[in-house]
Amino acid sequence: MKLTMKLALSLLAPLAAGLLTGCERPPIETVQTGYRGTGMEQIYNPRTLLKQASLNQAPAPADAAAADGPKASEVYKNVQVLGDLSVSQFNRHMASITQWVAPDAGCAYCHNPENFAEDAKYTKVVARRMIQMTQRVNQDWKSHVAETGVTCYTCHRGNNIPTNVWFAPKDRKYANSAMGDLAGQNLASKSVGLTSLPFDPFTPYLKDAAPIRVNGNEAMAGIGNYSNRASTKQAEHTYSLMVHMSESLGVNCTYCHNTRNFQGWEESRPQRVTAWHGIRMARDLNSDYMEPLTKTFPEHRLGPKGDVAKVNCTTCHQGAFKPLYGAAMAKDYPELQALAKP
Amino acid sequence: MAQYQNLFTSVQPVGPLHHGVDLPRGDDKRTGTPFLVHLLGRIGNAQIGPVYLGSLGVASLVFGIAAFNIIGLNMLASVDWNPIQLLRQLFWLALEPPPPAYGLGIPPLAQGGWWLIVGFMLTVSILLWWARTYRRARQLGLGTHVAWAFAAAIWLYLVCGFFRPIMMGSWSEAVPFGVFPHLDWVSALSLRHGNLFYNPFHALSIVFLYGSVLLFAMHGATILAVSRYGGEREIEQIVDRGTASERAALFWRWTMGFNATMESIHRWAWWFAVLCPLVGGVGILLTGPVVDNWYLWSVKHHVVPAYPLGNPVVIDPAILGAKP
Amino acid sequence: MSMLSFERKYRVRGGTLFGGDLFDFWVGPFYVGFFGITTIFFAALGTVLILWGAAMGPTWNLWQISIAPPDLSYGLRFAPMMEGGLWQLITICAIGAFVSWALREVEICRKLGMGLHVPFAFGMAILAYVSLQVVRPVLMGAWGHAFPYGIYSHLDWVSNTAYQYLHFHYNPWHMIAVTLFFATVLALSMHGGLVLSATNPGKGEVVKTPEHEDTFFRDLIGYSVGTLGIHRLGLFLALAGVWFGIVCIVVSGPFWTGAWPEWWSWWLNMPIWRT
Repeated sequence: MKLTMKLALSLLAPLAAGLLTGCERPPIETVQTGYRGTGMEQIYNPRTLLKQASLNQAPAPADAAAADGPKASEVYKNVQVLGDLSVSQFNRHMASITQWVAPDAGCAYCHNPENFAEDAKYTKVVARRMIQMTQRVNQDWKSHVAETGVTCYTCHRGNNIPTNVWFAPKDRKYANSAMGDLAGQNLASKSVGLTSLPFDPFTPYLKDAAPIRVNGNEAMAGIGNYSNRASTKQAEHTYSLMVHMSESLGVNCTYCHNTRNFQGWEESRPQRVTAWHGIRMARDLNSDYMEPLTKTFPEHRLGPKGDVAKVNCTTCHQGAFKPLYGAAMAKDYPELQALAKP
Repeated sequence: MAQYQNLFTSVQPVGPLHHGVDLPRGDDKRTGTPFLVHLLGRIGNAQIGPVYLGSLGVASLVFGIAAFNIIGLNMLASVDWNPIQLLRQLFWLALEPPPPAYGLGIPPLAQGGWWLIVGFMLTVSILLWWARTYRRARQLGLGTHVAWAFAAAIWLYLVCGFFRPIMMGSWSEAVPFGVFPHLDWVSALSLRHGNLFYNPFHALSIVFLYGSVLLFAMHGATILAVSRYGGEREIEQIVDRGTASERAALFWRWTMGFNATMESIHRWAWWFAVLCPLVGGVGILLTGPVVDNWYLWSVKHHVVPAYPLGNPVVIDPAILGAKP
Repeated sequence: MSMLSFERKYRVRGGTLFGGDLFDFWVGPFYVGFFGITTIFFAALGTVLILWGAAMGPTWNLWQISIAPPDLSYGLRFAPMMEGGLWQLITICAIGAFVSWALREVEICRKLGMGLHVPFAFGMAILAYVSLQVVRPVLMGAWGHAFPYGIYSHLDWVSNTAYQYLHFHYNPWHMIAVTLFFATVLALSMHGGLVLSATNPGKGEVVKTPEHEDTFFRDLIGYSVGTLGIHRLGLFLALAGVWFGIVCIVVSGPFWTGAWPEWWSWWLNMPIWRT
């Protein structure tokens, strides 16, 4: 056939093939999140959503236990948290926590089967603190978790260690050489959704309280006290945190923002306020609960730099805009809803 | 019935190779024996070569290749000298400018020092190349329009990598050398300055960008459409208007009411293409040193459209005295 | 009249696609033709609708006027006038006007004995508009996915639509399209510059020849595409840029719902080198 036809086909075929790599197909679902025509929308692949939904089911709650009878602290030894529960309620809780965190290892994951009271295993010490952490989230962070709340399952999902925790990134093998400084970015990193943005947005923003905002309140560049001193580089760091948050929740930027004016709260959605509290909550959990546990964990549970596992948005959300798509597990476990009175 | 559209040359006459118009005394001899590539001849000229390797050109290549190599070596180093990872992560790798802490000072080699060296060498290479485009034109007795168009592009390059960082007081504001990283820089600049779409110079630059695409589509198509009358012989048509130019002009006159001439269309072309980086560079230079937030600037200048706000209106939790 | 010095001999009858001699005349410098009539009809109606929409809106500020598409909830149905129906009518008028313009260009080409390259090229631009405002919304199930008619409001749409994919720069088709756009500007500046440099060689010089043009670029980079080639190249770069632009946006949504940086995982995870 004519050369032009051959050329055209030989160009089209790989083109078509290329178009199909890593592709999805219609129909797709969309949710409008802003005024019409602004382009603020969430986009979902219904087939992916179905799979996601099946992977993010809350387990059925344990049957309610009787509240009457002696308190757990009166019957069992070394009960420091949850002592006010009845024995039945306490045992119910223990059965649930085993399902949520150590379904295979069973009670022995935390306890010495010969002596349930002793704290020999680090897992028991950690678990006690984690129960307090869960209570803290449900009591003091309603600004983020509202009445839905969390349980151990929200993060652990039947795993000893939640599938999405973070450690400080390890240094490059030749980190001290005269060439090739990564400057904390410029690698294909899953932590920032495969962008080349800074790959550790967690240390500055979800452990430390580095300022996230980079926009000022003035149109013109100011001098002295009035100037916005944030750098373009800082904007990249904030961007990497935002990519993480979006990927964790399976949403895009327009879930919270009208991107023509990222900083403007009046043009943002209420979800942005919830996210603002979520960031503070993550900092709180990491600094008050996880970091102090660093010495408690054994070597093999720490990161390459010897730091403890910490939480970020993915730890709970795992790709859903609300963990477990908003399933209210906490309501069936009132003992997790408030920190015990001292 | 099918019509030949003159998109690919079907019959290629092969004549003697052209060794170039004579150069004046003082210039070197040209390098390389010209040869023909038949497939190339289906689109344009089939002849490749000879090339003029003058001192400016060679010097430019030396600096340019050195810069390229330093970038490449740094990228390789950043993946621990693993060539497979270099290929795998190539688009993500970069040579970064110094971090903000160093301001305009000279940083350590590993933390932006290499970037400064590369920036300097690449700039020298580009300026030498610019001088080469100027000189080659002059030596052939041509006008220097190509060189001055190139200067507009160099303006934008220098704005992004040199003038603006200096005015901001920090090399860290400059663009990293890397495929995805330089795109991250573009996004970060826009995010930091209140969305660059609201920068009127940015908008104007895009007008010239899209306008250039429009113009070349129009001009390319017009010439091809009258190539049966020799329309592509533009110089001859300019000094001695033939039916090709007449039909081309009339096409546009009848379509949109006015037209260019065979010469003036190239002025439209030159200006649209040159104004894109020229105006764009102005817009970038203003971003930061003069205007901190283009959205707020646009609000001040009453150009921002209003949309109905949510109910209730969302309020910044930080000013509500919420738990910090 | 408004004729150029050489124009009269070209004003012949013929070349029309439709309507024969009925509309085969000029008004001033403008050729009319049947499709000139339809152009005027659609353009005038569309403009009047835009003006009416502006009058119904909150402002006459040129930069702030915006006619928005319907809410997504209307799907592919006709929406009430004030709730996006107006936008729908304007879009129909726009397509009518653009297609009419292209067909009118065809008639003019035929009359002048020219190839149809210009209306073909314009067709690519029309395809871009239709892809954005019809094809993609249909594939996504609602007219509300299209962009609004407003100078700044359409930019708000671009910004938000891009951020739906977290970092649109990572869209590979967008990368190709941008590269082709920048290459077009580059080539245009070089072509414009080259022709002007040969015909405006400066004081004391004579007008130069195509051999000089070729020699300049061969001296510079070892290759000159030539007088015919540059026009093929320019047309190709421009149309290919628009084509990949169309591909990049039609794929975003209907054929890719995630973040664009994630698309690259297929490359990173190839068995030969996945980590």
